[in-house]
Amino acid sequence: MKDLMADYYKQGAEAKEKGIPVAWVTAVFPVEIIYAAGLFPFYPENFGAVASARKMADKLSSFAEAKGYAHDLCAYARCGLGDAHSKEHPVGEIVKPDLLLCCNTQCGSLSKWFEVAARFYEAPYFLLDAPQIGMEADDLCKKYYTAQLKELIAFLESFTGKKFDYDRLREVMAHANEACRLWNAILETAALKPAPFGFFDACFHMAPIVTWRGMPQAVNYYRTLQEELQNRIQNNVYAIKDERYKLYFDHIPLWPKLRWFSEICASHHALVAVSQYTHSWAYSFDLEHPLESLAENYTEEFVNRVFDYRIQRKMQLMERYNVDGFILFSNRSCKPNAFGLYDKKNIISSITGLPGVVFEADMSDLRFFSEAQVLARLESFFEQLESA
Amino acid sequence: MNNKEIIEIFKGAAARPDEQAEYWKKEQESKVIGFMLTDVPEELIHAAGFLPYAVNAEEGRLEFADAHLQTWACSFTRNCLASAVQGKLSFLDGIVIPQTCDTTRMLMGIWKHTNPLPFMENYRLPRQVDRPSAREYLRGELERLKKSLENFGGSEIKEAELAASISLYNSNRGLMRQLYAMHVENPQLLSGKELFLIIKAAMVMPREKVNSLLKQLLNHLKNKGVSHVKGNKIRLLISGTLLEPLELLDYIAEAGGVIVGDDFKNGSRYLECDVSEDKEPLEALVDRQVNRIPSALFDPKKGLRKTYLVDLARQKRANGVLFLHLKFCEPENYDYYDNMQAMEKYGIPAMRIETAYGGLPQGQLQTRIYAFMEMLGGGDAD
Ligand code: SF4
Repeated sequence: MKDLMADYYKQGAEAKEKGIPVAWVTAVFPVEIIYAAGLFPFYPENFGAVASARKMADKLSSFAEAKGYAHDLCAYARCGLGDAHSKEHPVGEIVKPDLLLCCNTQCGSLSKWFEVAARFYEAPYFLLDAPQIGMEADDLCKKYYTAQLKELIAFLESFTGKKFDYDRLREVMAHANEACRLWNAILETAALKPAPFGFFDACFHMAPIVTWRGMPQAVNYYRTLQEELQNRIQNNVYAIKDERYKLYFDHIPLWPKLRWFSEICASHHALVAVSQYTHSWAYSFDLEHPLESLAENYTEEFVNRVFDYRIQRKMQLMERYNVDGFILFSNRSCKPNAFGLYDKKNIISSITGLPGVVFEADMSDLRFFSEAQVLARLESFFEQLESA
Repeated sequence: MNNKEIIEIFKGAAARPDEQAEYWKKEQESKVIGFMLTDVPEELIHAAGFLPYAVNAEEGRLEFADAHLQTWACSFTRNCLASAVQGKLSFLDGIVIPQTCDTTRMLMGIWKHTNPLPFMENYRLPRQVDRPSAREYLRGELERLKKSLENFGGSEIKEAELAASISLYNSNRGLMRQLYAMHVENPQLLSGKELFLIIKAAMVMPREKVNSLLKQLLNHLKNKGVSHVKGNKIRLLISGTLLEPLELLDYIAEAGGVIVGDDFKNGSRYLECDVSEDKEPLEALVDRQVNRIPSALFDPKKGLRKTYLVDLARQKRANGVLFLHLKFCEPENYDYYDNMQAMEKYGIPAMRIETAYGGLPQGQLQTRIYAFMEMLGGGDAD
């Protein structure tokens, strides 16, 4: 991931040099439109994740906190705002935006962060607003989102001075379809027992599906990875030694403790096989109706759904991967994914009979992490799992 | 009734809103539909024949919510959920939760599983308000909510009924704005805390009743005339999402402050901006929502919140601005730096303190407010 991301950052710098506008975008934004409009999409969340994995989130956050941002805001936002207010740029300076595009299906943190950043960098900002959807898809929301995509395209046309090219959009969407298909086929290999690939591998390999979705690079990357996995299967190379259990995990990993966490699971012969997080990029676009299809795919994902739908989604994944238990991460940074987990755990356990655990920490910020507490929680969960 | 007695009625309602609701529920033989503060179009609930009831600062300990909601959710939400968990809201026939932030987006599911009510609806507000798509969507969402209320009530909401409710709420807002002006002119007669307690009480009482009490109260206060206030009054603008606990306002008053303006959801954002009575009612409700004063909860293209606050501070001749930040309210926190910068730029003294539902931390907070007020010291320009 390091090389890939270094590459990606280099492209950002190059885009700047060539005068290609850099658009900040969010992970669940219809980036296909950005590529089709000829802009370079930059993912500040990714900047946050990389800073966190390097254990630099606390440091970056301190620059934001000095300006009055509280330490209970999303750590990705604190990394971004911290970098904006720092002179040192301890993980390298974020690529500055020429415009900012945010979709709020994921959370309201992003839309506030981008709004603030737009004022800071004095760049135009567009919010693609997505009301939450219930159990059934919802025509009102789909129409609203589609209408906004048209507003977005008009906004981009006036920004770039170029007419938007719908044929190019279809081309990009076709690449995205193929990348998503490959990505999900790769994720599926975690259902094999024993499996050559698990959640932690997925975290390692997910950058292209997030950032290059719609570009041939992502397709090439996952073709190669798929071949590699075929080889692993043929040669009996597995993700962990002596796999006995499969687990479901919610949601974002504990970036600065990724290895620590994966080793604990591996020591219990448990493979974290699946998570809604890595399964978020499973789009399948209808090229005949590009805008409507973008609207459906982007708003009907679990991130934009109600409590009961999210439970259903988790249970579907648990069933499909035939897991033996589940771990839910009450991630202080990410309220939309954390709130509701206590009840979700009880409900899922009572329906499925699977053992589960909720633990408290922050995906980035080690000030909210107590190794002893998390470990105690996990150990008692593994005891339950092993005695089941 | 004299003015003291009327104020006491409101204070009683603000202190025990649940008793109020149960009383009116019996008396009016109507159902009570709760709502969370405050962007919900109460006019629709009222027109459907229900008593709208603001779930806000109920008695009871926040810890009752802890098995369902992390302690780092804002204390307002914890307070609402804790009351539900303790069965203190069992008189409600339903609830409408406006989705204005991540927490309110996630709350419904938890509430539904822990304490289901017969009628439960999200009100999914558009978070951008400037583009044409927002209006069109909001219209659809209002229609959806209207239908849902109609189904629950078993009868259609007629246009004339909705128009009548709108008119009732407009006159309520108008009366409360008059009361606010009265407080600004003469805080001796009506304190800041009394003003905000009345707003709070109004949200749980039948508006017909509130309006008649307010009219009487205003008459009394007008007759008393403006006694010229002795001593300096420090004119203060207060800003934030939700104002609670109201005892804070006592500290401000004790230090010689008078509240001249605010932008709270349970303050001026609730009172400002009427619903047009010349338009088709749903369109008029759409208008109100997209034209409300800026808030951290909505993307403000045209009217930046910081600009609004600077202008308001100047227009109200405020000596300073006190940001009362409800801890764990993310949107509010994101706005803080920009707001503060703007104040600095225009030379308006400002300070932030953190607040929470469920009691007032003594000591330090009081000292900080006093110190700030002392710094503003100079008092009213005239
Ligand atoms: S981690 Fe959660 S709160 Fe932060 S940007 Fe991602 S979805 Fe939003």
